[in-house]
Amino acid sequence: MRHSLLLVSALLVPAVVGAQDVQNATLRRARAAYDNLDYRQALSLAQTAQRERLNGFDRARAYEVLALTYSAMDSILKAVGAFKEVILLEPELELDPNRTSPKVLSAFQVALTQVLVVRQLRVDSTDFVGGQGAVAIRYTVTQPARVVTRVTGGQAPIKLDSVAANGQVNLRWPARLASGDPIPPGTYTVVVEATVGQNSFSASQPIRVTHGAVDTLPLLVSLPGYEYLPETEVPPKSWKPMGLALVYSGIAIAGTSALSQGDLGSASLREAGVIGGGLMVAGFVVMLRKPAPQPARGNILYNRLLREQLTRRNAEIAQDNVRRRQQVALRVVPLPRAGGVR
Amino acid sequence: MNRRLGGWAVSAMAVVLTAYPANRLSAQHGSVGVQLAFGDYREVSSDLHYRGGGGGVAASFTYKKLGIEGSVLGLTYDPVAGSSATASFKATQLDVRVRYYIAGPVSAEVGFVNRKMKPEFEAQSVGAVRAGARMSYPLGPGVNMGLRAGMLFGSKFSGGGTVSGVGALELGLNMAVDALRGRLRLTGDYDFQRIARTTNGGGGDVPVPIQQAMGRIGLAVAF
Repeated sequence: MRHSLLLVSALLVPAVVGAQDVQNATLRRARAAYDNLDYRQALSLAQTAQRERLNGFDRARAYEVLALTYSAMDSILKAVGAFKEVILLEPELELDPNRTSPKVLSAFQVALTQVLVVRQLRVDSTDFVGGQGAVAIRYTVTQPARVVTRVTGGQAPIKLDSVAANGQVNLRWPARLASGDPIPPGTYTVVVEATVGQNSFSASQPIRVTHGAVDTLPLLVSLPGYEYLPETEVPPKSWKPMGLALVYSGIAIAGTSALSQGDLGSASLREAGVIGGGLMVAGFVVMLRKPAPQPARGNILYNRLLREQLTRRNAEIAQDNVRRRQQVALRVVPLPRAGGVR
Repeated sequence: MNRRLGGWAVSAMAVVLTAYPANRLSAQHGSVGVQLAFGDYREVSSDLHYRGGGGGVAASFTYKKLGIEGSVLGLTYDPVAGSSATASFKATQLDVRVRYYIAGPVSAEVGFVNRKMKPEFEAQSVGAVRAGARMSYPLGPGVNMGLRAGMLFGSKFSGGGTVSGVGALELGLNMAVDALRGRLRLTGDYDFQRIARTTNGGGGDVPVPIQQAMGRIGLAVAF
């Protein structure tokens, strides 16, 4: 047990201290004694350090050394009490469950349930068109409490939510004024205030709101997935011209023979033969030639429908663009923030 | 002078043919041209048999369903070998046809024909009103053909005589081929006339039929 606590303490302290260094010399000695497993010395030095003038960070570290030392000495109630002070000083403090002993984690969790803090207040960075989206806000409250969420920084605070909550809470804020207009650009602060009786805690997150123009949609030159069809089509080659020329010439020659007067002898077919022959030559040439393109009625109707659809869609887009030009694109970005206050 | 004038005429024609907008040409339905004609003429019996050739001019104009075409031709008919005829004669024939489109390929045609012979007594001059029908069919792009049949009414002859109501018939075949994108039109026409003329010199009706088959090949400028 003693070895495991040693390991935990060696791992935990750097994890929770972070990049900032302890300023107070006594506190540094207390941490050294804790690292050397001299818990009585660590306890004594930490208590001594508390009576000295400490900044907020050092004060939190002093309570932290006390909490870890009490945990190592199996004084759980005292460890919980020290953790409560740490949590109140640094509500966002998190212990890595992979690097912390269950005993310490347990004391930390018990301490969390015994203080009222609002932790992990997060505002997502987002872009949306005013009136068509919302900003996601979430936080965790450690005790059942009446929680009021406000946005300050504008002409008047905007009350977003007021609920009795415990644990994680998710909100969606449309970033609109009471009039329905988007909030003006500027720097705001999301304030979450939890209250239980006389006890209260608030956390805040500054955000910056900027306005931009909403992108308009380009007009379509074609409907996706649809293409215009050729409005003419070349019919297949046919023997019909030659056949008709033959029939017409035959009728002319046969008619000449039939109508000719018997008394005048057999009719002359030279003239009909020459013209009919020319006609058959013309029919033969036409038969061999590539037929002329003919209007494709079905394709013409299809293209007309397509053009009507395109015109209608572009009219809708133009109408939508008029509306878009009157809209505002909101960008909400969270800013670095200070810690919670009691 | 004449050679120079001929050169100017050819040049003017070339300018008209090359400079005239094709789209306007396609919107118009008219033509003027010249024709070469050749024919076979018989009268009274197979012994009076002539063949000849000549030329003339022809014009046509179409507006919507209405069309009009006319031609003036001059032919010189000579007796064929073995014929009892001895003298040649000149025939000048005026044809006018007014056409009205009815439905499908069918159009109705009315008009008149006037054929004068010179010398006057070598053959019969004739004038008559014609009525008939014509079937037209486009063989292909720029190629059209037609077949027509009709009757001649109220025939008058320089030597007298009459024709029964259905005694004068005519039959025709024609074709037109457009060239140079419709600027020029090559035409071919065949006309056959049979007129069952009779005379009465006091001894009863005597049949003196007239029959002419004529072919025409022409070149026209379309506009």
